[in-house]
Amino acid sequence: MSVLLKVENATMRFGGLVALNDVSFSIDKGSVLAVIGPNGAGKSTLFNVVTGVYRPTSGKVLFDGADITGRPSYEVVERGIGRTFQSSRLFSDLSVLDNVIIGMHTRTTTGVLDALFRPGKSRREMAACVEKAEALLKSGSGDLYEQRYRPAGALAQADRRRLEIARALASQPKLLLLDEPSVGMDETETQALIADIVRLCDVHPDLSVILIEHDMQVVDAFPDHVMCIDYGSRIAEGDFASVRANPRVQEAYLGKAAAHA
Amino acid sequence: MHAPASSAAPGIGQAIAFTVLSQLAGAAFLYFVLKAEGGWQIVGLLALLGAGFYLLERLPWITDYAMASMARVPLVTLATAAVVVLGFPFVVGSNTYVLHLLIVAQLYAVLALALNFQLGSANIPNFATGASYGIGAYVSALLAINFGLSFWLTLPLAALAATLFGFVIGIPSMRTRDTYLALVTIAFGVVVQQLLNNFDWTGGPNGLVGIPAPSLFGHSFADPLVVFGWKLPSQANFYYLSAALVVVAIITAHRLHGSRIGLAWNALRADEIAAKAQGINVAWYKVLAFAVDAFLAAFAGTIYAFYVSYISPDNFTFLVSVTIMTMVIVGGMDNIFGVIVGAFLLTILPEKLRAFADYRLLFFGVVIIGFLMIRPQGLFPQRMRRYGGEP
Repeated sequence: MSVLLKVENATMRFGGLVALNDVSFSIDKGSVLAVIGPNGAGKSTLFNVVTGVYRPTSGKVLFDGADITGRPSYEVVERGIGRTFQSSRLFSDLSVLDNVIIGMHTRTTTGVLDALFRPGKSRREMAACVEKAEALLKSGSGDLYEQRYRPAGALAQADRRRLEIARALASQPKLLLLDEPSVGMDETETQALIADIVRLCDVHPDLSVILIEHDMQVVDAFPDHVMCIDYGSRIAEGDFASVRANPRVQEAYLGKAAAHA
Repeated sequence: MHAPASSAAPGIGQAIAFTVLSQLAGAAFLYFVLKAEGGWQIVGLLALLGAGFYLLERLPWITDYAMASMARVPLVTLATAAVVVLGFPFVVGSNTYVLHLLIVAQLYAVLALALNFQLGSANIPNFATGASYGIGAYVSALLAINFGLSFWLTLPLAALAATLFGFVIGIPSMRTRDTYLALVTIAFGVVVQQLLNNFDWTGGPNGLVGIPAPSLFGHSFADPLVVFGWKLPSQANFYYLSAALVVVAIITAHRLHGSRIGLAWNALRADEIAAKAQGINVAWYKVLAFAVDAFLAAFAGTIYAFYVSYISPDNFTFLVSVTIMTMVIVGGMDNIFGVIVGAFLLTILPEKLRAFADYRLLFFGVVIIGFLMIRPQGLFPQRMRRYGGEP
């Protein structure tokens, strides 16, 4: 298997605060990596460094054979990295359908002049987008398709998470970054989410997924490759069983005393 | 008119009757407002308008029904609109004051539609639309006076010049946002007006005089317009010209709104960080909004310059930008129809309430604050996009 994303010695400092400290890892094409760690460990910062929201203080991000360190977000998306946010960031006054269509921005080409003078081309492109978006909304769990003309802001929490994933998939990513997708989901919804991700990986065997998760149930469903971050440093990596057994991981989650009790 | 209480699709006959009658009623209302004299008539008409909006607010199915009817018979809708717009000067007759008001209202409608790309679609508070308007007017006037270029040539040239100006403000503005962005645009607007006031070649505070009237196929726009034996005052020429520009502006707005560009603007209005994560080049789309705004505003400026044949920096003050912004906020952000209604209301009302002319800025201030508090979405709120002819 070939490496899709490789992060080399990434360090991110905000003034005196070290949010990421010399983190290196890589993910293969078509695999799932789960990133765990306590709150504030630097997991979301890692996503922001990979997607070009932040330029790392030092270190490199290599994606699909190219150096994308600090490249602007729009270029990173175009190259094939889609993401969701921890606190869902939907376009809440736009419809569910429009949210997904906006996700296709990098895969569409109409410019101002096209829109003005070649309305047929622009309309056909939009019609194709609508079709694809509706298919995406139908494919996941839940009834997003039936709610496609509702404003995204009116959705229930679980539907918001699903819509964020659908929107990220709309950009036809090679790598999908999911930032705590199960937040605010109940037991059944979490199971449906796991099934969604499994199905996604089956349908797109080349798609790689990096999951940030607090829900160990979800991590347990993708146990092959797990990485734990604490205080900005990678403290463990391997399969879920070995990471879970790692004393430093237990210390990070439970505190020193409890881990050694 | 008996309408069903649900938003069920209207029958074809009902749809035709509704679209024709509602547009005629709208035109009649506009006619009475334009003709109204004395405070009480205006107050009465305003009360009627207020009652109308109250009904629309309380009974949302009316709007749905209207939209469904118009979507059902688009050709009838367009034909009626064309007849109303083309026929209006014939009804108005020789009343040049009313025609003048209509021309100004239409130019403001274009300006408001131009600003709507920024304020409405992308939430960029641009207070420099008046400056783009002025640049359009000055560039075309200077070209016509100094080089004898015809109106039809100066029109695109002025638009190009103003678009360049749009890029010039747009690019540095990208480093700021919200209130700071508003301040940058206010500064630009003031700078442009001061430059126009101080350069020699712009005529300084005296402005430019003697801009020649345009002509088309040998017909000078300064001459009365004769159609099938009807003689319309020369203002009718400019009425039709500005009406054509409004049509161009509506088509531009409609096409951009329905394309991925309109969606990208809406995305960065809702959440800039999320927009970036969808691969939208946020800075470029903001600059683009500035450019499109300037382009359309310059068209309006050119027509204005050739219409009044005399321009001075006083025509393009900060107050003009504030007026345009008020129109967008009152009419309804990102709603093409609403923005046009806002432009007409806020052009005609201050003219009719001449008694308060000294308080115009106060009037606009009160209107903005009132709307932002009571009805921030404007008279006609933005509507969700529908695809594939679905209701």
